[in-house]
Amino acid sequence: MTDIKEFVTDYIQREYTVPEDVDIMTLNYIDAGYIDSMAFIQFISTIEDEFDIEFEVEDIDNPELRIVGKLIDFIKSKVKEQQ
Amino acid sequence: MINTMRSQLADLFYQNAAEMPQKQAIWCDGKTATYKEMADLVSRYSNFLVSKGVEYGDHIAIPMNNSIESVALFFTAADLGVCLVPLNPTLPLDSIKVAMLSGDMKHLIARKSFLSDCEKQGGINVPGIKVCLDGDFEGAYSFNEVAQMPTTRPTCENINGDESLILTMTSGSTGTPKPIDISQKNKVDRSLAHIRVYGLTKDDRILAATPLYHSLAERLVILPLILGATSILLPRFTPAIWLKCAEEQKPTFTIAVSAQLAQILDLIKQTDAQGIDSFRCIVSSSALLEEKVKLELIERLKCEFHEMYGTSETSTVTDICFQKARNKQKSVGLPFDEAEIKILRDDEDNELECAVGEVGEITCKSKLTCKGYYKLKNMMEMATTDGFFRTGDLGYVDEDGYLYFAGRKKELIITGAINVYPNDVDAVVNQLTAVEECAAFSYPDERLGEVVAVAIVVKDGCELNERTVKMYCARKLADFQQPHKIFFVDMLPKNTMGKLQRNRILSHIMNMGFDK
Repeated sequence: MTDIKEFVTDYIQREYTVPEDVDIMTLNYIDAGYIDSMAFIQFISTIEDEFDIEFEVEDIDNPELRIVGKLIDFIKSKVKEQQ
Repeated sequence: MINTMRSQLADLFYQNAAEMPQKQAIWCDGKTATYKEMADLVSRYSNFLVSKGVEYGDHIAIPMNNSIESVALFFTAADLGVCLVPLNPTLPLDSIKVAMLSGDMKHLIARKSFLSDCEKQGGINVPGIKVCLDGDFEGAYSFNEVAQMPTTRPTCENINGDESLILTMTSGSTGTPKPIDISQKNKVDRSLAHIRVYGLTKDDRILAATPLYHSLAERLVILPLILGATSILLPRFTPAIWLKCAEEQKPTFTIAVSAQLAQILDLIKQTDAQGIDSFRCIVSSSALLEEKVKLELIERLKCEFHEMYGTSETSTVTDICFQKARNKQKSVGLPFDEAEIKILRDDEDNELECAVGEVGEITCKSKLTCKGYYKLKNMMEMATTDGFFRTGDLGYVDEDGYLYFAGRKKELIITGAINVYPNDVDAVVNQLTAVEECAAFSYPDERLGEVVAVAIVVKDGCELNERTVKMYCARKLADFQQPHKIFFVDMLPKNTMGKLQRNRILSHIMNMGFDK
């Protein structure tokens, strides 16, 4: 299975590489502009497809999941639930 | 006899590099380059591409991000007489493939992540070369080789300025792309017109804060480098990144999208930001800014404030300075010297000119107009009456010749200055089996001006929820086309002939109490 952390961090850096001095795990990828707010829903659907999980509407609205590390933890827990 | 005519656009840039090698040419995302460094980069890219077989007249697709490298590639393209086709990297791969076909792209330059995504989805074939911008990728040349290339400017002859420099893709993901063909001469003429109108000099620091795959940012990065000024290129836009850049990089001039300015003002107010004092002039484009927002921005930023009107096909058509034309506050201004406007009556033959104050379609004849739509000569002819390009916008002219914008004739949603064709969204939503019929429409939004909304009639006995629609669209449409609002309605407003009345959907929803 694809490594969750690698998948998320690669996706976020599709257009721009996060500078080395930035702690990527605490980065708010929407506020920092790595994912445009309009593109957020596409990001979520890509994660759903890749890991065969489903985000509830309240998950999509949860501001915590805009933080890279929290999102990775969330995906991990969802994948675990599935298994 | 050998004709040694070279690219005027590239010449102007190289001349600045020769005269001011140590001057800062560009800043982007914490990196800077002097004119000498930038000229070396442009030459290296040119030598690299030539060594890999890129030839005069070739088309190169590039899913483009905002970076110093992307800017250098514009000048490389000019110097080699090749055409760059900047693409929105967030477009679904199918749309990218359609765009590449319609633009006859021979080569592809992309980031590793793009090439890798393509690979996962069945690959993408190009008749020429593939180049990976950031590292190594199997089957692609690596741009790392650029460092070994000579910095001497390659000899490229016979560039007369009519060569296509940029194809700007204007289309949705499912419609036929309409590539706007912009020549080298177009770009130079457009830059010179803006330099004159806004009194720009070598001392200006010119900020570009929109994506480089749109004509506005292209203009704002090419212009300073042929003028000998400094280009400040925002890597990506958020109001916070813009403010920080404005504080630290001290730009003096920018053309911004009106939706951006409204967001910036909100943040300035929230944070009581004080340090933005470098602007001499700000121009707002794409939609009229509310007067209140304008006044507050002027108070906070203490600079000249302009609004402009134009299209990607014609470049800027009119301009107005807020402080200099106080009695024309609702106008988008007077035409540039290069342009002439005519308001035509909206009737069958579309040829009668409107009287002063009468609303009709804004048409424009301008020396800055693009070459046309690539390989769609008929389409440009169809959009032109007597040499005047029909913009699809409605407006009127007053007794002093000032133009006023009055809405749009075309069924178009403009979200954050990007055009969305409702049919493209309809086509995707209609693919859902539970949809009886649907129609995308423009919904007012404080941040983006407008957002995409969709009204859906669900088939009898079927169920459909918002999440399903949004997720389906997420997989099939580009980011800017995503519907922000979904309304499930009993019917769509139609005229007696059964034709959809898209402009009545919003009021229908409001009246029926669907907008909760």
